[in-house]
Amino acid sequence: MKVQISSIRTIRSFGKTSLIAGSLALGLSSMAQAETFRIGITQNNVGVDSYQTTYEQAFEEAAEAADNVDAVVLDAGGDVARQISQVRDLIQQQVDVIIIWPTDGQAVVPAVKRAKDAGIPVVVTNSNIAEAGQPLIASFSGPNNIQQGAYAAEMMCDQLGGKGDIVQITGQPGYTTAIERQKGFEDRLPEVCPDVTILDSQPGDWNREKAQRTMEGFLTRYDNIDGVYAADDNMGVGALNAAKSEDRADEIIFIGATNFAVGYEAMERGEYHGSVYQSPAEDARNALNIAIAVAKGEEVEKMSYFDTPKITRENMDEFEKPVF
Amino acid sequence: MKALLGSFRPGSKNSELSPLQFFGKHGISVAFVLCVVIFSLATDRFLSADNFFTVVMQASIIGTIALGVTFVVIGGNLDLSVGSLLSFATVLVVDLHDKVGPGTAIILMFVFTLLIGAVNGYLIGYLRLNSLIVTLGMLSAIQGITLVYSGGKNVDISDQENTWFAFFGREEFLGIPIPALIFIVLGIALQIVLLKSGFGRKIFAIGGNGTAALFSGLRRNRLVFSTYLLSAFTTGCAALILGSRVMGSQNNVGEGYELLVLAGVILGGTSLLGGSGSIIRTVIGVLILAMIQNGLLLLGYPYYTQWLVTWVVIIVAVWLDIAAKRGKLLSTY
Repeated sequence: MKVQISSIRTIRSFGKTSLIAGSLALGLSSMAQAETFRIGITQNNVGVDSYQTTYEQAFEEAAEAADNVDAVVLDAGGDVARQISQVRDLIQQQVDVIIIWPTDGQAVVPAVKRAKDAGIPVVVTNSNIAEAGQPLIASFSGPNNIQQGAYAAEMMCDQLGGKGDIVQITGQPGYTTAIERQKGFEDRLPEVCPDVTILDSQPGDWNREKAQRTMEGFLTRYDNIDGVYAADDNMGVGALNAAKSEDRADEIIFIGATNFAVGYEAMERGEYHGSVYQSPAEDARNALNIAIAVAKGEEVEKMSYFDTPKITRENMDEFEKPVF
Repeated sequence: MKALLGSFRPGSKNSELSPLQFFGKHGISVAFVLCVVIFSLATDRFLSADNFFTVVMQASIIGTIALGVTFVVIGGNLDLSVGSLLSFATVLVVDLHDKVGPGTAIILMFVFTLLIGAVNGYLIGYLRLNSLIVTLGMLSAIQGITLVYSGGKNVDISDQENTWFAFFGREEFLGIPIPALIFIVLGIALQIVLLKSGFGRKIFAIGGNGTAALFSGLRRNRLVFSTYLLSAFTTGCAALILGSRVMGSQNNVGEGYELLVLAGVILGGTSLLGGSGSIIRTVIGVLILAMIQNGLLLLGYPYYTQWLVTWVVIIVAVWLDIAAKRGKLLSTY
């Protein structure tokens, strides 16, 4: 079962009726509730990219498949004020668990606190909220960006045979995801491959064109580059473009930290060597499962990561082409 | 009349120049040479034909847009929508490439891009709305249109090896990359239009004193309108280069480019108040910005150094420009 509501006005009135219904029920019988959990989710911005769109579909499917879940699916449309009022509405509806995909990791903290004060546990999904909010949440469900960076380092090491000079193209400076993927890579690389040196590291801002320009600079500066690590395949393919135009792609190993459709296709052509597979459906299912466990009162890990396996040319048949 | 026209032409020669005026007029060229010398001394990788063309090619996307925006700014207006317009145009041409073929895709892309330019031009030229507000609003509006169109997906050209669309971004002519060539040829053409045609002189006139131009019989609304068509056109050309170079696009690919474009135009000494400016100087301005980016990368400086150095260069350029106009380095009041 699922209830989808798009306008806040409807939610408000719905909230009131359910509140009345709730207090009535409370008045009639104290704790004779059926084993159905009401789980509310407020998402970041569905429709802005295919990852979030696929996430929502998978979440609704999973909620429908689970017979003990009554899901209220909301979308903040990227607007933090709207997200905060959605959290309030969910509190008013007295859902059992609130899942929140933060539009802004800092600004949603007070809303999370309000939920906790109202006795409703909060599960954060996909991207974590600020440090100050950590004690307030029941669990974080999402990808482990540090692990993704570490996986990339291991693949780079394997593909290079333990030796070589590489360059790194990072995400947008200051973004947690960018910082963690860089840290995971840089910490793991010397452990598995002390003889692989990072020559240089510059941001590509998650932008393929910027990554391409950055790589052109690297190619001018260094006569020998054995490998490129990009924080996602979108930028990795930008680097590949640059190397191809200089006829140097054959001598370079390309590794990304999140597999995109373009990276998958380049891997099929044999031009791209490895990445990390992050499934939005897995992301959604993990969040729902954690939320159900929390609703049941089970112990959950504070950091409940879902599996993001390595994908290379050898095992890529096991994975579907990413939707993004 | 001859003398009056001369005042519209920033490139024309005056007989006597104080050192300050010389810097105000030619400071940008001096800065350009200075940048080349400093980077060449600092790293032997910098001064090579290969790297020179890399810089021009990297400047070509921002630069091509800046050519059109220079006309807008000389006409006394601003265009902040070019960054998202670039995203929109690139997403459109790349997405349509596989659906209707490259030729039709390019035509459709220009049709829609010019249409958006026309909306800007109509609101600012005919309805006389403030250009900052109109184009700032347009910046978000186009972002929304792009998102709705693409559904948030990145778009890609599937057969990258065998499409003639690769011409605009990936091929060379006589050893010169085509993006650089588009930028240079378009730059020369528009410099001629600006300085030698009646249209160019009228743009200077409406930017310098719109009311006076109006009473002199110039059709200001139509002229302003056409500058926005022009900036949309050059943005479309930049989208061809970008789409072909990357063989794909994403919704935010041109995010922030409007400010880089404006930085190049300002660095080239085009007055934000309108009425003066030059295409060639815009070209040099954009090249300086690209050179700073390239040079600092070759020297291995972290990315934030680029931001700082770029800021310093722009401030010094604007300062010299103003100082030359008032004849003193510092203001006395």
